[in-house]
Amino acid sequence: MLFNSINFAIFLPIVFILYWFATSGNFKRQNILLLVSSYFFYACWDWRFMFLLIFSTLLDYFTGIKIYEAKNKKKKLFWLWLSIGINLGFLGVFKYYNFFAASFADGLSLLGFKANLGSLQVILPVGISFYTFHGLSYVLDLYKNRIKPERNFVDYSVFVSFFPLLVAGPIERATHLLPQILKKREFEYPKAVDGLRQILWGLFKKIVIADNCAEYANTIFNHSADYSGSTLVLGALFFTFQIYCDFSGYSDIALGTARLFGIDLLRNFAFPYFSRDIAEFWRRWHISLSSWFKDYLYIPLGGSKGGMWMKIRNTFIIFIISGFWHGANWTFIIWGFLNALYIMPSIIFNTHRNNLDIVAKGKFLPTIKEFLSISITFGLTVFAWIFFRAANVTHAISYISMIFSSSLISIPSFPGIGLTPPIILLTILFLIIEWLGREQQYAIAHLGLKWNKPLRYAMYYSIIIAIILFGGNKQQFIYFQF
Amino acid sequence: MRKFLLRILVFTLPILIVAYPIDYLISKYLSESNNYGIGEIKIWKDIYSGKINSDLVIYGSSRAWLHISPKIIEDSLQISSYNLGMDGHNFWLQYFRHKELLQFNKKPKYIILSVDIFTLQKRTELYNYQQFLPFLLWNKDINQYTSSYTGFSTYDYNIPLIRYSHELEALIAALESFTNYHNTNLRIKGYMGTEKKWNNDLDNAKSKVDAYEIKLDSASVNLFEQFINECHDERINLILVYSPEFIDGQSFVKNRQEIISKYEYFARKYNLLFLDYSKDELSMQKQYFYNAEHLNKNGSEIFTNKLIKDIKAQMHNKGYIQ
Repeated sequence: MLFNSINFAIFLPIVFILYWFATSGNFKRQNILLLVSSYFFYACWDWRFMFLLIFSTLLDYFTGIKIYEAKNKKKKLFWLWLSIGINLGFLGVFKYYNFFAASFADGLSLLGFKANLGSLQVILPVGISFYTFHGLSYVLDLYKNRIKPERNFVDYSVFVSFFPLLVAGPIERATHLLPQILKKREFEYPKAVDGLRQILWGLFKKIVIADNCAEYANTIFNHSADYSGSTLVLGALFFTFQIYCDFSGYSDIALGTARLFGIDLLRNFAFPYFSRDIAEFWRRWHISLSSWFKDYLYIPLGGSKGGMWMKIRNTFIIFIISGFWHGANWTFIIWGFLNALYIMPSIIFNTHRNNLDIVAKGKFLPTIKEFLSISITFGLTVFAWIFFRAANVTHAISYISMIFSSSLISIPSFPGIGLTPPIILLTILFLIIEWLGREQQYAIAHLGLKWNKPLRYAMYYSIIIAIILFGGNKQQFIYFQF
Repeated sequence: MRKFLLRILVFTLPILIVAYPIDYLISKYLSESNNYGIGEIKIWKDIYSGKINSDLVIYGSSRAWLHISPKIIEDSLQISSYNLGMDGHNFWLQYFRHKELLQFNKKPKYIILSVDIFTLQKRTELYNYQQFLPFLLWNKDINQYTSSYTGFSTYDYNIPLIRYSHELEALIAALESFTNYHNTNLRIKGYMGTEKKWNNDLDNAKSKVDAYEIKLDSASVNLFEQFINECHDERINLILVYSPEFIDGQSFVKNRQEIISKYEYFARKYNLLFLDYSKDELSMQKQYFYNAEHLNKNGSEIFTNKLIKDIKAQMHNKGYIQ
């Protein structure tokens, strides 16, 4: 069930009404309803993988209790590694087996040996990377004594499977989400209205910007040999906006939906394309994953405590693993490696925490220096996205080499699809709204709040009309494949 | 909570109130488009408004509407004619158009059915779904018949405006029709001759697969036979025509002969006229085609004249005409 589908538009109000009216405000009943709804939501994708979700939930539920009850560190470690091993084992089989088998066979063939390990014809269960990381954060927090185990299986299951975040995050922490699940939720009018507004903005980003940009990006990337260097730059730009609006749009819908149920999820995006350096970009892009890697990998590896070399080593490790988390392809690993390279100067010169505030806060325009910093960071990000989007490394290299050819200095040609002028205008309008709303949780959080009702409603109707009129052909959310 | 639900209702009420009237208006003007949906909407509109009323009608796929000119037929035979060929669709949907024709127009005296290798297949997806957009919510026949194809969801069939989301070009076509701006006829009485030059379609297809086999749809075969019987019962003269097909493309389908034999079998069984032009000299000359399956304008005009001449001769021989 896609967030941008009619099915979801029917599903959500039904669950909402039942949640607030049929449970008599009892949070235990609300949790049961949320769990049933979440499993139904997941089963709509592919009911066959329900067993995996339930097994993963059971595993972390029981190992969590065992870790907490273990009398000594050795036993704690045993249960922790059992959970990590099985969780990562599933991830390895479903997500990475074919990659490792093919890479191993390629490696052997370079040495003159032939190997055929076969490939598994498995479908990647949607959301596996997300709920696995969910569960891992829970057992790791238990091991570190940051939390106590949740003994109510229903409540714990809601933490893992809450439908707004089930298939593509944000990757929640038990310390943040579980306390909300365990307490009585009261309906809050401003929160619910704000949730609806965030859903609307998320739908606009996904359906109007991402889905339209996807058509151009797909055409240009899939037929890159047919286009000039300047058009390939456009293709990379289209993908840059596609991936941002696709994923942040999804996150907005997820956060907005959760707020309708009185639950706040972790913020996942904070206007990353207005970042002044790569370190700032990574504090603003897929925040829940970046902070997960920081807390559960970077810091346990020693973080920055072991001197410069350890800092550099750990930075490369988390970026490469982060790339690999996205998918079983060398392109993602190179994408991660590139981002590690980008961030290196700020690590070495210790400037990575220079830009913690919001760019041009309280001002209408950035300074020239800020503008240049934003442009350079954006350019580096666009370049890295080429690897992320390319089918394989060879494709990425040929794409880049064609960009840096004589045809770079030519007028780009748009593929003969869609209605280019309105889409470009809408993308520019979107960027302006994002810039103006960059101090908020999401761009239109405060837009029009002081306007009178008809004007405000007109703005909402305009967004709805834009979604209906200018929506691109429906595309799968990119992050569902991860 | 009450306030929240009330506000939601206040916000959505205008949308719910205007949805049906807006859908009606968009559908009304889109159905008057002369060129949207490869001109198919215009043909549906002509059927439903009883404007076909022709003595001779032509059925088939794109190989019908691109190959047979009703105007040449009218000039030559002095009978009214209309080409109802439907782009990209097999007999399953062609038959539906036939039924609608009979319901809203006078019965034709002659039907030329252009058959080809794809006629007795059934495609699963609703190709050129745009042609059905203005009718979907308002026409039960189209609603029921097209639902066996993938393409439209239950919501598209039953909720106003849903099917128009992401269809900006349809809305522009409706606007053009409303303002009568750029609403030019794409097809004349269902026919369109194209000046296209020979393209790479055949080479591209050959580079992908050596040859392929057509799987006949048994339901379509039964429907085809049922249609022959119905024509017989209605005293409509049915003529089967296999229009020219460029010779180099004929080896592409492995079971081509088996399919043509099927038409020969039905022609024999029901004493129908079956004219096969796939071995005709026209099929040997590339300059009359723009790809292996389709004639260009020059080719289609030569072919239509040839077809009329042959029909006249054959019918004369069979005693249908004096």
